[in-house]
Amino acid sequence: MLLAGLCPGLRTRHPALLKNRVLFKDFNQSRLLTDYTFVVCDTELTGLNRRRDEIISIGAVRIVNLQIELSQSFHCYIKPKNIDPNAATFVHRITPEQLLDAPPLEEVLPAFLDFCGDALLVGHFISIDMYFLNKAARRVLGGMMSNPSIDTMRLAKGYKEAQCIDHFGGCDQSASYNLDLLSEEFNLPRFKPHDALEDALQTAYLFLFLVKKLKHGGIKTLKELYLAGRIFGLMGRG
Amino acid sequence: MSADQHFIAPEVVIEFLSAMMPFDELDDATLHEVARHIRVDFFPKGTRLLTAGETELTHLFLIQKGGVKSFITDDEGEITLKDFRGEGAYVGALPIIRGTRANLDVETVEDTFCFLLPREGFLELIQEQPGFAQYYLKSFSEKIVNTAYTELRHHKMIRRGDEELYLFTIEVGDIIKQELRKIASSATIQEAARAMTRYRIGSLFIHEENDPDAIIGIITDRDLRAQVVAAGLDYKEPVSRIMTGLVAKILSRATCFDALLKMMTTGVHHLAVERKGHIVGVVTSHDIMLLQGTSPFSLFKEIGKQSRIEGLYPLSQKIPDIIRNLIKEGAKAGNIARMISLLNDQILERLLTLLEEELGPPPVDYCWLLLGSEGRREQTFKTDQDNAIIYADPANEQQEQIAREYFTIFARKAIDHLVNCGYPLCPGEIMATNPKWCQPVSVWKKYFASWIAAPAPQELLHATIFFDFRAEFGKVALADDLRKYLGELSGRQEIYLLHMARECMASRAPLSFFKNFIVAKNGEHRNKLDIKTQGLTPFVNFARVLALKYGVRETNTLSRLQVLSEEGHISEELWASAREAYEMQMQLRLIHQLAQIEEGVLPDNHIAPDQLSDLEKRMLKESFEVIERLQGVLKILFPVG
Repeated sequence: MLLAGLCPGLRTRHPALLKNRVLFKDFNQSRLLTDYTFVVCDTELTGLNRRRDEIISIGAVRIVNLQIELSQSFHCYIKPKNIDPNAATFVHRITPEQLLDAPPLEEVLPAFLDFCGDALLVGHFISIDMYFLNKAARRVLGGMMSNPSIDTMRLAKGYKEAQCIDHFGGCDQSASYNLDLLSEEFNLPRFKPHDALEDALQTAYLFLFLVKKLKHGGIKTLKELYLAGRIFGLMGRG
Repeated sequence: MSADQHFIAPEVVIEFLSAMMPFDELDDATLHEVARHIRVDFFPKGTRLLTAGETELTHLFLIQKGGVKSFITDDEGEITLKDFRGEGAYVGALPIIRGTRANLDVETVEDTFCFLLPREGFLELIQEQPGFAQYYLKSFSEKIVNTAYTELRHHKMIRRGDEELYLFTIEVGDIIKQELRKIASSATIQEAARAMTRYRIGSLFIHEENDPDAIIGIITDRDLRAQVVAAGLDYKEPVSRIMTGLVAKILSRATCFDALLKMMTTGVHHLAVERKGHIVGVVTSHDIMLLQGTSPFSLFKEIGKQSRIEGLYPLSQKIPDIIRNLIKEGAKAGNIARMISLLNDQILERLLTLLEEELGPPPVDYCWLLLGSEGRREQTFKTDQDNAIIYADPANEQQEQIAREYFTIFARKAIDHLVNCGYPLCPGEIMATNPKWCQPVSVWKKYFASWIAAPAPQELLHATIFFDFRAEFGKVALADDLRKYLGELSGRQEIYLLHMARECMASRAPLSFFKNFIVAKNGEHRNKLDIKTQGLTPFVNFARVLALKYGVRETNTLSRLQVLSEEGHISEELWASAREAYEMQMQLRLIHQLAQIEEGVLPDNHIAPDQLSDLEKRMLKESFEVIERLQGVLKILFPVG
């Protein structure tokens, strides 16, 4: 951990990353969904600029046996490298003071990797989260995360398209796939938006809803989920 | 970073639990500890959570969002709905506490998210939190009593069936109302009278002085009056002086019918009930009468026995009592409505038979038609008369004249008698007394042909009443002929059906049911939902349009839907949902009207949504969703434009 913290951009890989790689060496897609662990995560960013912006908080909850384990959640603020107290991007109810007191990415990311273990990552429009997570991982851990990821936005698209076809044979392409609107549309319990943990929970509820409603509950294995919506985003090795 | 950060229970769980009894009584630390052990699961609508006698509970379900229904399925597959539970309610506490498998079938009725509290954690709370045990035990004792009662009732209902008589199936031992009261033979008359007053009973057994089990006689109120007061007997005399020495006995396993026979043949009003050689209680003729009074069948038979039309007047007033009992016994609305029409039909049939005897045989064949809800066998308590006469085409002018005179008098008398029986006049004058609706077959055919050919709003209004006609009395073939003619007509007249379908689709179901009821905004029925026009009528209209389209001869809405499903015009699933939804609404309406009758108010169809239980609201909401589906079917069959 020390090594990684001190030498950004180093060639040596962080032990947490090596462990992460081993876990996914022989990843098997054909097991039952209930046999996998999923970590539903959400990151809050200073902005969406891929070069400049940074992660300032990570929230995540764990799903085991297709049930959300409330005892297993992860929520951390992260002290960004470039902090601008006047930045307009602070929409997340996080004060600059909170961030100044927060641990740096060098501490949080290995802990997050540890939390993820052999879980699949789930997120809403997860490619954004994965981009910033992997950018950070490259910098502080010396490589990218191996966890396959699942995008609930794509799942929702697959679900809504299937529904439309059931009823009318056509589909409204203009529909919104915003997490908030989808949660409202599917009548899910609601959480506070713009808080990484609550957003992760909201996404976890959405994930449970979609997995069990897709194909009228007919999806049993990860492979079937994959085939049903071609929903995988990054498959780990980016 | 601290390890704690991995184990923060989200605020939402704490909030949820602290608003929920009995979790609201937990201190903060315990609450957080409980929340930490919770898992969240999602169950799509229609998921079976528990199966009675099978499911082993590993956790308590706390409903975060959505709702479940609990029900019992008996050996014959008949389902009895027990309860509905919505947000903030729990499922599975009783079996966990008792250490048994699930005692009910439980299924989600909406997409449902549940917090799962592991069984061990829950049991710990029960043991350590005094408020917990108390809360669940209290709600159980009520629930268990209800459940036990319902199960008993259900059992009896199955044994009895619809047409059987209570008298033949209920055992004497089952109707004993009070425990056996007795007094020693040496007691004075006054002591006996005091005992009877204290226990509020009309009869008292006398036992041998030294052996309380040896019953040797009985005294009744009547003995006290006749043999003591009227005869001026000293109250200090031993009670054995006035007792009836031979007590008529009956075995507790005997049926009530046997008891009634015994009373009638022996002339006694009290029977000692014997079980295993011991007297365990007493049944009186009054007990049996009460039993008889609630039997639809006995009323049915009594109606049939009347030899004077006036004798029918009081009998028809008994129908609400019968229906009340059926509702209380948990009969389904569909069966109740059929029972109402069965009894109403029986009154009418007897009435018209007697009227025919009075006026002499009719000059030509005729048939008494019932229209509208009566035609569909869907009456509730409030049943306006909707009737008509169809008679065979007379052979000539003279016969025509005679028929017209006969049926005019016949109709007038019949309607008068019906009013006296408590069936109000039809405000729209759609009755056999209206010359327009007392016509020969050929004229009736012309009526229908003109309605179908020229669809205007007024015509559609007629349709909803007349198209549901049913032969009630007389020559049924006349009505069949008309039905057949109608089938041929409307099959060709798509445009007419289209108009009816439009009418159906025009009615909008109250969608945002919970937050924003679509209710009358002003007037007498402000903030009330018209269960008839908004709820039931769309089902009736839908069934009618499709029945006419596909030539289904049934008039009853559920029968129509069933035939439509059997013939493949609607899916089996839609038929099942529609039946459930329709029966649910009928039930709501019946119960609403029953309550009004008991308050002495004229029954109506205006239900106050805020007075509905969670269960009723939820079921109503579901039933309105079914209406939308029916309208969807119409949209496909009768596309606009």
